[in-house]
Amino acid sequence: MKKSIKLAAVTLVGGLALVACGSSSTPAASSSSTSSSSVSSAPSSATAASGSSAAPSSAAPSSGAPSSGGGGSPATGDAGLKSTISILAPSYTDSSKSDWEAIIKGYNALYPGVTVKLQIASWTGFTDVVQTRIQGNDTPDILNDNNFADSAKAGLLYPITDVMSPSTFSTIVPSLAANGKGSDGTQWAAPDIASARIMLYNTALFSQAGITAAPKTWDELLADSKKIAALGNGISGYGMPMGKEEAQVESSLWIWGNKGDWLSGSNIKANSDANIEAFNEMKTFIDAKATQPNPGSSNRQDVADLFNQGKLGMYVTQPGLVADMTKKFPNIKWALAPVPSKDGATPVALGVTDFILAFNNKDATRKAATKAFLDYFYTPDVYNKWSAATGLLPVTTGAITLQEAATPADKPFYEALPTVRYLPQGNPKWSALQDALQANGGSIATSDGKTTLDAIQAQVDAAGLSPGAARPTAAAGAILRPRQQSGPSPAKRTIPRSAHRVPASPSSKGRS
Amino acid sequence: MSTTQTPTDAAAAKPVPNASRAPGRARELLSALPWLGPSLILIIAVVLYPAGYMIYTAFRKVNKVGFDAGKAGWANFKLALTFPGVDIGHIFVNTFIWVIGVVVCTVVLSLALAQFLNKAFRGRKLVRLAVIVPWAASVVMTTSVFKYGLNPDYGIIDKFLVDIGILSKPYGFTQQQAPAFIVAMIVAIFVSLPFTTYTILAGLQAVPGDVIEAAHVDGAGSTARYFRIVLPILRPALAVAVLINIINVFNSLPILQVLTGSLPGYASDITTTLIFKYKTTLGPGVASALSVVNFLVCLVIIAIYLIVVKPTKER
Repeated sequence: MKKSIKLAAVTLVGGLALVACGSSSTPAASSSSTSSSSVSSAPSSATAASGSSAAPSSAAPSSGAPSSGGGGSPATGDAGLKSTISILAPSYTDSSKSDWEAIIKGYNALYPGVTVKLQIASWTGFTDVVQTRIQGNDTPDILNDNNFADSAKAGLLYPITDVMSPSTFSTIVPSLAANGKGSDGTQWAAPDIASARIMLYNTALFSQAGITAAPKTWDELLADSKKIAALGNGISGYGMPMGKEEAQVESSLWIWGNKGDWLSGSNIKANSDANIEAFNEMKTFIDAKATQPNPGSSNRQDVADLFNQGKLGMYVTQPGLVADMTKKFPNIKWALAPVPSKDGATPVALGVTDFILAFNNKDATRKAATKAFLDYFYTPDVYNKWSAATGLLPVTTGAITLQEAATPADKPFYEALPTVRYLPQGNPKWSALQDALQANGGSIATSDGKTTLDAIQAQVDAAGLSPGAARPTAAAGAILRPRQQSGPSPAKRTIPRSAHRVPASPSSKGRS
Repeated sequence: MSTTQTPTDAAAAKPVPNASRAPGRARELLSALPWLGPSLILIIAVVLYPAGYMIYTAFRKVNKVGFDAGKAGWANFKLALTFPGVDIGHIFVNTFIWVIGVVVCTVVLSLALAQFLNKAFRGRKLVRLAVIVPWAASVVMTTSVFKYGLNPDYGIIDKFLVDIGILSKPYGFTQQQAPAFIVAMIVAIFVSLPFTTYTILAGLQAVPGDVIEAAHVDGAGSTARYFRIVLPILRPALAVAVLINIINVFNSLPILQVLTGSLPGYASDITTTLIFKYKTTLGPGVASALSVVNFLVCLVIIAIYLIVVKPTKER
């Protein structure tokens, strides 16, 4: 009797432990978001976009095709093409699913023999969804994501130019397209959406605190932030979101403002002197209580919430958040200004692009169907509508012209695009740095710049040696070309002004 | 299908079980198989296969995007335990504090609560119902309620504490590692209480009234009656409650994930939450390696419990 009870208990324990531990190997549960370098990861920017989308999406088709330099026009389909392709895309807005479905419907009218399977997943945990599908040998043919270097390095992708007609690819603004080039010089991805970050400030709080002009240097920023914080009533000066979601963006703005960089050649050098100095400056802000409380755990959305409640003087924002604010908080008086830098002369506007990736499923008809789909996707009419619905900035010359006219509120962002600097997304080590920044960047609230950045560098180095960081082997189908140093340097890329057709006056005033 | 078989039919349909002992057992097992089958299949499909796959993955190089690039040997384990910035010793200490703290507090509170619910009083049904609520609500939801309630800017709990004068100004309970970890433990206790209380309550129903009465007559005080009669009779119920709690709490991801997941650093991580951080930053291979370690740690904790407390020992 005693024995049997013992046996039963042990069996129970073993079984349950297995259940419990086994469950951790399945991709369940909400794991933390790493979607952050996406153009729009803030949930409310999604809802916001629907507001701004209405105008351009209706305007786009009626305006007709702009002078986009000849987009691929697949007006003629191919009824004989029979295949099944799958698409995995994140949800930019509530309408993302129906936006994609509309494209698929139009595509199927031209290619009735191709079945398109669509999966839309939320940005939160999008990495896990992608991971699960690749691990499960259910690789999507087309993926819309904010990272391509890892997949490219693993030899999983077609170079995007293999699955897009040259005429289609040429509609994308070259400086944006360059962002999809790997450090090996191959064009692994094509951008499909872009975003820029610039500083948003509350003009009412500024005038209350007796500040007449937006700060340009760090010293001015610190002084102004202190003045605003001195207003009391729970109001903070500068919003510094060093939480998980976007620590990499905020810290990039600071290190660039100090003429620092994440890269040294093609290697990550996070703890360079200039970067440490920039982080120490952030620490100065935190210690002086010039930032919102708990900057180490605040995400950009938290900061935006504070701003929308009139409790924050300024923060660096993106178009989706501005659209959201104008719609839901019309009483906030605001204006946009360039991001301050140490000397006030270094432009530090930050840009992000999301990408279209095409996975190599070793099937010629799928490849053909994928190519046909991407050519259709970037057709002016189709793409204009889709990109406008995301509420973010488009990447083709034609769509930029159209939507710049349709969304006057976004004008400062379009104006910032030419001077914008991109995160080194093409570098295979970037994602390790991004992870390390997201996990540890917030430590700057409690420890100094050197300690924080040394820890980050140590993680990047360890992740680089990690068995997980797969190097393509012959067995894995090494289609990588020898690495070249001529990868996309994160230096400024200039969008030709002509692509923009904007008045050159830097009228970065919002409404008041 | 008719279910109204007469006893004689049943006897006729089934071979006499005790005709010969050994083959009878085998045949009994065989005839039980159709009934055991579905659950066996379920266990194999959702428990053994994933566990096996996890162990397999732990020895594979699987990169961040999920691409399998061959054998990894013990490298995943090595990286999982030596990743810079992660003080693995601290993580294990956290894990033990988390499991032991939550389980001990839960059981002690549950014993008191069960005793209270075992008394007959007006409105007992309502109180019993109220105890179930945290169990019925999703853990993520309950945790989110605490997280928002404790937000220093708009949290209602924070505001209440300020209003009644306990705090002079709102405190960011969930904005720093140490207080957030304590809050997480309180939430874990809160969500573990219902199950434990009900298991113990069921055990209390099994305490015979006449034994208590007899002890009373023999002059045992209330303390003696509780510790010498009630508690020993509760032993099997307690054993189940504690074991299941240990496993549940040990593997609990959502509470810490919601409350401390967005905080920088690893100071409030336990092995389970670290697995999920590794999964996104270092890929499934390293995460699986840590899962295997996690599983072993869980077995060790249970073994310690079984050896020290001997919950299955009969008097």
